Amino acid sequence: MSDATLLILASTVSTGLILGAIFALVAAGVTIVYGCVWLPNASNGQFFLLAALAAWSLTGAGWGSALAIIAVLALGIVLSLLLEWVLIRRLYDVANRNVAYFVVTLGLTQIMSGIFSLTYGRWSDQFTLPPLVAGITMIGPFPLPNNRIAVLVIAFGVLAALFALLRYHRYGRALRAVFQNREAAALRGVDVRAIYKLSFLLGSSIIFLGGLLFALAYSFDLTVAWTMSVTAFAIMIVGGPGSVVGALAVGLVFGFTQAIVSIFASPTAATFSYLAAMLAILLFKPTGLFSK
Amino acid sequence: MNPRHLNARNMGIALAILALALPFVLEGNRFLAFVFGMVMINVLWASGMNLLYGYVGLMPLMFAGIAGIAAYAMIYLTRSFGWSFWLAMPAASFGAALIGVLLGLPSLRLKGFYFTLCSLVIQTVLTLAFIFFPHFTNGDTGLNQIAPPEWFNGAPLAGLWFDLVLAIFAVAGAAFCAWLVPTRLGQRFIAIREDDVLAAVLGINVVRNKIIAFFLVSLYAAVGGCFYATYVGFISPRAFDVLTSLNIWLFVAFGGRGTIIGPIIGAVILAPIPFLLQELQAFKDVLSGVLIIVVTLVLPGGIYGELLRRRALRRAAAQPQTGTTAAPRT
Repeated sequence: MSDATLLILASTVSTGLILGAIFALVAAGVTIVYGCVWLPNASNGQFFLLAALAAWSLTGAGWGSALAIIAVLALGIVLSLLLEWVLIRRLYDVANRNVAYFVVTLGLTQIMSGIFSLTYGRWSDQFTLPPLVAGITMIGPFPLPNNRIAVLVIAFGVLAALFALLRYHRYGRALRAVFQNREAAALRGVDVRAIYKLSFLLGSSIIFLGGLLFALAYSFDLTVAWTMSVTAFAIMIVGGPGSVVGALAVGLVFGFTQAIVSIFASPTAATFSYLAAMLAILLFKPTGLFSK
Repeated sequence: MNPRHLNARNMGIALAILALALPFVLEGNRFLAFVFGMVMINVLWASGMNLLYGYVGLMPLMFAGIAGIAAYAMIYLTRSFGWSFWLAMPAASFGAALIGVLLGLPSLRLKGFYFTLCSLVIQTVLTLAFIFFPHFTNGDTGLNQIAPPEWFNGAPLAGLWFDLVLAIFAVAGAAFCAWLVPTRLGQRFIAIREDDVLAAVLGINVVRNKIIAFFLVSLYAAVGGCFYATYVGFISPRAFDVLTSLNIWLFVAFGGRGTIIGPIIGAVILAPIPFLLQELQAFKDVLSGVLIIVVTLVLPGGIYGELLRRRALRRAAAQPQTGTTAAPRT
């Protein structure tokens, strides 16, 4: 193989890994909330974009990238708490709440995208964040920006922590109990509403983090929100609603698909393929690939 | 005689007369007349959406996509084959309705959130397809200078008479719904909405009735799409994206789903808003987002549904021994 081919291969692998990890993070956030609260968050892409834009504003105001990330995550937690308090908890006891939640979050999507195009949309159409870490590392003959390596490390670190949390921590066990059987979990003394609230908080924070990492690794525009929403839903449906393993596996596959397709065709072709995959799963195996 | 039924019918007749008279009243003011025409198209759309959302209980977010297919097909037939609008519109609408049925077929098994998500995916694919088949759609740039339908003598339909045609179609669309609901077919739709398993046990062919409903709702979407294209004179994929579907859904939910009058009220109140906020299109998105949330959380029966509910409560309070069932399910 020539050097040029190898270079393309290496960049595809690194892009695939970064995109895959970010997709997996956001989809894990969406799928945890759906599996537990039964809330399909259609506005996940707007949360993602909000985090990216807020970090852009803060770094633009002279904050360092690391400080901006921490501030945005804190802001994300406050906003999620507020949202849970104002909107989300009102439907906890409704029987068919997934449709209602879907509609409510579609409304939220419209509100947020309207606000973004009224504000950020007027200032710029392409946003870039200063790198978290400067410099370039040579991996063999391939240059890789340290910034992207940092993004990759954070993303996989958070995914691993999430796994450990769900598997070994008390909260994770309670959350999985609620996944499996709400009534039984309640009978065993799990405070179901508190778990709902925590899950929404956790899921939203992961989505915010995904947006931050994406903004660090790539420049972005306002259309990324809707693409992310569609992609996260596709990953959740294909991987199986509520399955974090499914979100991780399918997220990585989709990330690599995007990286590979983008070499030959427009990224829209990749979006097309996610939609096709989601449709096929919805029609033939609505429980997804990784559900038990 | 059920007095409530009589009341709704009188209201409907009054609205129909108003709709047919207003084009003459508004003839002098082109802007108001145009808003009126757009409201009529949206009344037609909302009535169609209500058939599936209000009576069968499924939320079809690919509604605008079907309207787009019909509009593009109609334009293709008139431009490339020289067909008259009055031939191309029914042909394109019928074709688009069949496509609507085809797209709906696989989702027959799905209910609730999964049906809605599936329709959202189909809508997104259709929007992407409109952008990526520029041969028919001219892509994101859109098609402009769409010829209006021709009058009997070949002159283009315009002004007062175009508004009147739109009013006639809107009234006919709403009247068809009003006629359909008390029939056996309409009652079967309601049975499926309330409990499709029970409906199947009672001998109702759920699949066949859903297919009929898909066809009807797609036909409404398609006819509205053809009129939209010729009335505005310009279409782009943006005109038929998911936000349009959601807006039409909002007309139905805000007015009162599962009633004939409700969607009309919703369209009449909400459809003019974009024209009054011309400078601030994005603000319209914020407003309709807020309305979507408010309707879902606070007003699940819509304005008209809430009105009926309160009236039923008052009546029940007045005659405690006769239990009333007048309130629609919310």
